[in-house]
Amino acid sequence: MSANSVNISVETTCENQIREIGYDGTELYQPPPTLSESLAKCAARIDFSKTSLDDLKKEEKSATEAEESRDKDGNQFQESLWPWDAVRNKLKDAFTEICVLSDVISIAKDKRYLVLDPLLEDGDDTKPIVQVYSRKKAISQAAQVLLGGAERLRNAHSEQRSRNISDFHIELLRLRQNWRLKKVSNAIIGDLSYRTAGSKFNMSGTFEVTKAEELADDDQLQGQNSSSSSSSTANGMPIKAASALRVIVPAELQGVAYIKVITQKDQEDLCSAQVNLMGHGPNITAQVGVWQKTLEFAQNVLFCKELFAQLAREAIQLQAPIPHVVIGNQIRATLLPNIQLIISLCHSTTFDSSQPAPINDHDHVLEHSLHQLLREVHYKNSHHPFPHPSSAPLGPSKKRMMAGPMAADRETLMDMTKSQTILEQIIAQAQHIFMRKRTQYVLDTLARDVKDPQIVSHWNAMNSPTMSCVKINIVTHGYDAIGRTSLVIHVKERSLKCICRDGRVMRLSYEPQELRDLILCQINSHQISCLVSLARCMAWTVLSNSNHLGIGKVEPLGNASSCLLASPNGDRMIAVQIRCDPQIDVKVYIAKSPRQDFFPNPLVPEKLWENLGGSFKEVRFDKIEGKSFLNKMEFLMASLTSNTA
Amino acid sequence: MAMASVSSARESLQHALTNRFLPNLEYLLQGSILDSAVEHLMHRLKGLCDNVDTSPEPFHDLEVCMSLRQPNSNQPLLLRVRRAMDRDAPMQMRYLGQPEVDQRRPTLVRSCMDCACTNGILDFLTEMGFRLEFEYLAKGYMFRKGRMKITVSKLIKIVHGKQQDMANEPISQSYIVELSVVAPTGQENVGEEMRVFAEQLKPLVQLEKIDYKRLGPMP
Repeated sequence: MSANSVNISVETTCENQIREIGYDGTELYQPPPTLSESLAKCAARIDFSKTSLDDLKKEEKSATEAEESRDKDGNQFQESLWPWDAVRNKLKDAFTEICVLSDVISIAKDKRYLVLDPLLEDGDDTKPIVQVYSRKKAISQAAQVLLGGAERLRNAHSEQRSRNISDFHIELLRLRQNWRLKKVSNAIIGDLSYRTAGSKFNMSGTFEVTKAEELADDDQLQGQNSSSSSSSTANGMPIKAASALRVIVPAELQGVAYIKVITQKDQEDLCSAQVNLMGHGPNITAQVGVWQKTLEFAQNVLFCKELFAQLAREAIQLQAPIPHVVIGNQIRATLLPNIQLIISLCHSTTFDSSQPAPINDHDHVLEHSLHQLLREVHYKNSHHPFPHPSSAPLGPSKKRMMAGPMAADRETLMDMTKSQTILEQIIAQAQHIFMRKRTQYVLDTLARDVKDPQIVSHWNAMNSPTMSCVKINIVTHGYDAIGRTSLVIHVKERSLKCICRDGRVMRLSYEPQELRDLILCQINSHQISCLVSLARCMAWTVLSNSNHLGIGKVEPLGNASSCLLASPNGDRMIAVQIRCDPQIDVKVYIAKSPRQDFFPNPLVPEKLWENLGGSFKEVRFDKIEGKSFLNKMEFLMASLTSNTA
Repeated sequence: MAMASVSSARESLQHALTNRFLPNLEYLLQGSILDSAVEHLMHRLKGLCDNVDTSPEPFHDLEVCMSLRQPNSNQPLLLRVRRAMDRDAPMQMRYLGQPEVDQRRPTLVRSCMDCACTNGILDFLTEMGFRLEFEYLAKGYMFRKGRMKITVSKLIKIVHGKQQDMANEPISQSYIVELSVVAPTGQENVGEEMRVFAEQLKPLVQLEKIDYKRLGPMP
């Protein structure tokens, strides 16, 4: 201790807080906190969740500040009963947290139930104002793009040809509704072939769609068009100010085509076939009216080409008794002797109607049939039957599927693979049409020529392309109830089948004379059978009748039919003979009994032999009154019936 | 007329196998879709597949799986017999082999033999010693695209003792979608073709190859 130092004693104020002031002024002091109490107070202030010293300092500062303000205010309560309670709770919480943390870490280390993944680092929290600025910039860029597009549209709209531009898009929409389109780089390519419908033809049917150019530049651009349209790959066409749209079809599909089908008779020379030029000249045809028509015509050309190619291939492969001939764009097939079917592909790229008219009429029905047949081939190519049950293999037809379980033999399986080609089918149909026409002609001429029994033919309304039926009734006018002969004729491709009422079936060939002869024979037997029925009505007895008399000259056509009638009281006899050689020829004879010219003579002395009946005398049948054969016979029988018993 | 030499059935089968035109491999992709979404899938398939005008083709089949314990091996021989309930068609018997273990292939590949048979097949198999393993009804629609067959079907559990179809309850609230091709061996691009098609059906249905071993043994 130095002499100059001053002793400073530091003392606490030692003032305790006043707890209570009595009425008499005495002050009751709060006893100062004991050591344990002060320790408790200090310990309570420790916050175990704070780790760094800075935090602690801050805490202290704020705590002391709070305490000072609280001290200034006044009373300070000691709330907890047990001062260490808070401390204990805080320690316990801390312990629990540490335990959990250690558990989690041990589980995570095991990596079986819990895996720790690194978190993506959060970007620094930028200030909101920066975000606002960046968003504003982005939105303004987007707005610029939209405004630019809107400006373009507005300009396009406000131009003179605003109508035509919208036409392009609307027309493109309509085109898309009808045809398959696809965008390839700059150009729009379409497909008009039948490939998706099942066709296997390898000619491409692609077309190109562009905006139509202005009229002033037409020639120049048409030159460009023709050079670029020969190949149907994508070309970037210069798109000028547009009107409607234009389609460019490949050169080989331009123009109009159809398949001409002609049935010709007696064409001797084959070399005079009409061969149409296919016209690969300059691109004269522009648009045929609207684009729809152009595309339809082009599609039709493609279809006709496919059809003709298929027919030509079959014509060469098939082996017919008279071989088919393929010349240029014509196919000749023989239907019947001297009758030929000529199928030609007529493709015209010019539109002048200076072509000569065909020799015979073009048969629209057969052309339509050809189209249908090819479509059927397409359909069969694409539509295969679905397997039932669903685990069965895809592909085999229903018959093939049944062939296994139903134990089909080799023959049946081979038959399943056979199918008729288009050419065979169309030849069959053409033959049938021809047979039908011929049959109709024969029946109609007979009906016209033969007046006496009437020949009525009823053709079936429903028939197939290769078979028709006709029912023929032979009646005599006025005597319908007496008798009617009917027969059914099935007209097939090269033959006829005739079924008579009595069950006889006759097969006739394609010669018309055979049918004529048949009908004449039927007329014969009709007359006789009606006569027989008529005689019964008139009470005459039918002694005999025959359909095949073997008497007289040998006829080219069958035999005569005959009938022998006797009057009710037996005194007259009528004999009728009908021949058709070739006209129907009726001979009627009458006999009287007893005979007038019987005189008994030494050889035949008795008188009773006069009853044997006399000789037959011919009647001049054509002079007898009567509208028809039966009518005349009726009158004859009536006149010969005598009153006497 | 030349007569072809008559060969035995065994020879023809051998010939078909060596020349690789007998289809004996099935390539399969499977997936499922909830009932609520199946209409969208049907619409999509109708647009993607062949023959828009006639699709979809409904079917209603009963499949019965028969098994025969073999003395030599642990695995029983399984044969599936399928019958169309809604129309008159022969029953189909099918043998499916074990799937090929090949991770690189995008589809499940297993050997498959189909055969049409008469109605007495179930009795015949029972007489041979086969026993019924399981059976179920499959009712749905089928589509085709080229050689691929796509079926969308609901599997229905058969409750014995009840006659009506109404009584049979579906196994789940979803439809099973299967894409399959049956082709001879040696065709390389079948799997690729199927995978490309399956891509077009995402995200409606995820068609993938299902590893049967991971599903566990059959009960």
